[in-house]
Amino acid sequence: MRFILNMARRELRSSWRRLAFFFVCVAVGVGSIVALRSLIQNVRVAMTAEARTLTAADVYLRTEQPWTDAVLRAVRERLAVLPNAVQTETIDIVTMARLPGDEEIRTKVVELRGVEAAFPFYGQVVLGSGATYTPALLENHGALVAPDLLAQLGMGIGDAIVIGDVAFTVRDVIVTEPGRQLGAFSLGPRVLVAHRAVEETGLLGSSSLAERQTLIKLSDDAAVDPLVDDLRTDLEEAFVAVGSYRRTENRIERNLTRAESYLSLIGFVVVILGGIGVWSVSRVFVQQRLPSVAILKCLGATSGRVLVVYVAQVALLGLGGALLGVGVARVALAAVPESLTEQAAMAAGVATVSTGITASAMMQGITVGVLVSVLFALVPLLDIRHVKPLLLLRQGQAAPAARVDWLRLAVIALVGAGLVAVAGWQAASLEVGVYVVGGFTGVACTLHLVGRMLVAGIRPLAATHRFALRHAVLNLTRPGNQTRVVLLAVGLGSFFIIGVRAVQSNLLATFALELREDTPDMFLIDIQQDQAEGVRGILNAARVSGGSGAAPRLIPVLRARVTAVNGEETVIEGRRAVRRAGFGREYTVTYRAQLEENERVVAGRFWDAEASALPEVSIEESLHDRGIKLDDVVRFDVYGRTVEARVTSVRAVEWDDSRSGGFMFLFRPGTFDEAPHTYIAFLQGPAEAEARGRLQRDIVTQYANVSVIDGLEVIKTVRRVLHYVTTAITVVGAIALLAGVLILVGSVAMTKFQRLYDAAVFKTLGANARALAAMYLLEYGVLGALAGVVGSSGALLLTWTLSRHVLDIPWRPAPGLNVLGVVLTAGVVGVVGVASSLDVLRRKPLATLRAE
Amino acid sequence: MIELRGVSKTVESGGQPLTILHPVDLVVPAGQLLSVVGPSGSGKSTLLGLIAGLDTPTTGAILIEGVDITSLGEDRLARLRGEKIGFVFQFFHLIPSLTAFENVLVPLEIAGTAGAAEKTRALLDEVGLTDRGHHYPSQLSGGEQQRVAVARALANDPPILLADEPTGNLDTASGRHVIELLVEVNRHRGTTVVIVTHDRELAARTTVTLTMRDGKTDTADPAALALPVSGVSP
Repeated sequence: MRFILNMARRELRSSWRRLAFFFVCVAVGVGSIVALRSLIQNVRVAMTAEARTLTAADVYLRTEQPWTDAVLRAVRERLAVLPNAVQTETIDIVTMARLPGDEEIRTKVVELRGVEAAFPFYGQVVLGSGATYTPALLENHGALVAPDLLAQLGMGIGDAIVIGDVAFTVRDVIVTEPGRQLGAFSLGPRVLVAHRAVEETGLLGSSSLAERQTLIKLSDDAAVDPLVDDLRTDLEEAFVAVGSYRRTENRIERNLTRAESYLSLIGFVVVILGGIGVWSVSRVFVQQRLPSVAILKCLGATSGRVLVVYVAQVALLGLGGALLGVGVARVALAAVPESLTEQAAMAAGVATVSTGITASAMMQGITVGVLVSVLFALVPLLDIRHVKPLLLLRQGQAAPAARVDWLRLAVIALVGAGLVAVAGWQAASLEVGVYVVGGFTGVACTLHLVGRMLVAGIRPLAATHRFALRHAVLNLTRPGNQTRVVLLAVGLGSFFIIGVRAVQSNLLATFALELREDTPDMFLIDIQQDQAEGVRGILNAARVSGGSGAAPRLIPVLRARVTAVNGEETVIEGRRAVRRAGFGREYTVTYRAQLEENERVVAGRFWDAEASALPEVSIEESLHDRGIKLDDVVRFDVYGRTVEARVTSVRAVEWDDSRSGGFMFLFRPGTFDEAPHTYIAFLQGPAEAEARGRLQRDIVTQYANVSVIDGLEVIKTVRRVLHYVTTAITVVGAIALLAGVLILVGSVAMTKFQRLYDAAVFKTLGANARALAAMYLLEYGVLGALAGVVGSSGALLLTWTLSRHVLDIPWRPAPGLNVLGVVLTAGVVGVVGVASSLDVLRRKPLATLRAE
Repeated sequence: MIELRGVSKTVESGGQPLTILHPVDLVVPAGQLLSVVGPSGSGKSTLLGLIAGLDTPTTGAILIEGVDITSLGEDRLARLRGEKIGFVFQFFHLIPSLTAFENVLVPLEIAGTAGAAEKTRALLDEVGLTDRGHHYPSQLSGGEQQRVAVARALANDPPILLADEPTGNLDTASGRHVIELLVEVNRHRGTTVVIVTHDRELAARTTVTLTMRDGKTDTADPAALALPVSGVSP
């Protein structure tokens, strides 16, 4: 053991300059992992720290319907056995607020929240005046409002606003408020009033979209999870969501996990690129160390011990590189501009995000760095076993390797499995790990084959009399050539770089759909059947568009609940079973005769334009995935009426394209034509604020029940967040690209050590530097172009697989990017090949020949 | 003691078998100082490589201290070399990344010998390089490098020392120094020393000289004629 450690230390001491590139490769990869993972974990930590404030309670129950006796009883019974458990009620409703006075045109959609005296259990309502919040502020129709409402309505503290039938007096403005739903985009400024006052507004009709919450505070934190579980069991039959501040099903939380996995995978790809560099360095290093290995064997060291010396050396280098990577990540994160972290904090809905590195990211980075170093170096290091000490007596006499090197094959399999495990770990999905490493292996095998074909194919060109071409060909085809090495390193590198770029452009294209200019920014809901014509008239008079320049359409909607699938024939019956199958919530459904632009039929046949008395329904494909099949009969409860409809088609809906909305269940016209239903409308409101205000007033004054939701602010927020995400993806992609190019350049440059001797001999024989440079340019240009073609084709396949099966986004091929990838790869490899050979070209031949 | 029984070596050359060492029988008793001479390509180095277990014979058996090494695997051979055979090369073959001191230390570390550092110092002292231990091979002259190589070969106190053209890459003065060193080793330590050389001066200092030509021991040589199958006589 002492021998092994001493030798590893001494070897490192003498060869660190040559191994510096190894070091850099690991550092770049680990730095990427640590920085990306830390950033996302910091966001998560900030969110967890504020979790109780975000829910304002330990446990909450939430429903869109009035509480039933059964629910109230279950809650009462469960809390009775928990000492010091307290509860309070809140109610949220999106509605219109206006200034008093009949001629007043200023109206605004607000998020009205009614709270009881005990609110909030956690966090504080911070007021603009600096005063302390007390429930007394809400008594006698007092209201606290978001500052933007005052600005938008041009009013001040002490003024009145009318919501429903009640006039409220604004007593202060809200700076921050606990219990804002995490990640929920605001539909309008918040207005906080007393719970009782909400009932007095008269807005809580049967069809209103009010959300009621029961907030519970417990004295014992350990009771939180059991209470959630118990209530979920008790309320399985009811349409009530039960959660806690620790809820994991949170959408943002899931998205963060996904983002962490995606970014870690990008980090891992950079590490793989680093691994290619490691492989390239190790290979050259082993070549250079053959005499030392032979000497050690001559002095009595066994192959195993010598191998362990070099593996230990690689592990130490990997560790050093990883530690440097952690340092780089620390510096890089500290250098992130504050404006960017503020945007990240805003996107996550938290106050601040730390830019420190987290312990877990650091440990993961270091582990991955050391593992990848050892895994990638292991195969080249295995050549040490074949070094015979006889080499010391007869130069260049390598012993023939066994025909099938089983150990080598076993190690390659082990390295493959190891990489799948590491990739799976980093992406938090074994499937992704298999895809990435499978792609890697596939491209590596293809490159190997292409390399062999190339060697065979260009051999006849060696007959040419042109010196540069003849020797470029001879170089590519001679025994022990570097064709395979450069092809493999560059091909895999371009595969990953082009792949990451292509996935990135696919992701960004998906976001671009949401950012397009014709997205509707105003929504009308709750238009009654007898109001439809009147509303249409107002919209036409205002000349508003429904998006893409088309006239706004009124879409009929009903609220429906699935109560059974194939009810009479199968066991899936009753709410419990339906709920278990995942269909339990209430759906907004519609009927129409044609498909929208963002829909396509993936199974079955869509009906023709004629109405039919036989109920038919088309389902969205996720419902199909959850078990509803073509020809199933689904039973719905629509406002107390039971409707059974046969599934005749399955649709894929592009949800990101929000111009036409999206519906999980779409009925054939005929079934609900006569049933009571309401309309909704998506439209692009007038651009000028005054015209928008007038349109809203016109609708609200004529049809008081119709809610006009001005989505302009929401869309602006979405755009801002998407812009942030787009920037983040572009920055991460650029890091991967830069790291990849750096590592590739290094890998190609490393092959120069193999050319020193040849160049010396050529020069001795009279070749000038220009002829040698032309030879290298040809040699590397051909290799680069080939590697680019294979890498680019592999990237095309990788993008398709990741888009379709992992990221779940539409696949958009980018041929321009692929062609550019090939051209750039050929150019870069050719130039780097020659540039890295400059000192080879300049070097005096005698020094090299003596050293050999 | 070294014993060769019908040892030959045939290699492939241009698809044809080429015998580079014809069957040879030889016994080198313990404590012998033997030189092997002959023109280039006569099979001297092949013979030495076979004795050191660096190569495998095509036919025959080689016994080192009574152990048949022809049937040993690579790792057993490596251990045997570590314990019983020291080797000195024409091109020194020091590990360039290690200092002179460390080069001598390595075989002791491989064998796990206690007090390796003291022993290394003593060996460097013995070859007259006490003050050069911290120098790297590239900072030493050829003669100094070869003396480090001799010290390294003696590190584990092997009963056999094999030297392949030890003066072939040295100037006359340095060569002489190395010759003295090898003779001293044989005389004072009782080590069996086999030297392959072109150097007539060196061959003259050995007690027995074996001449080789075209892969065969040359029976026309008077010294070689004196070598019976069962042993080597002066």
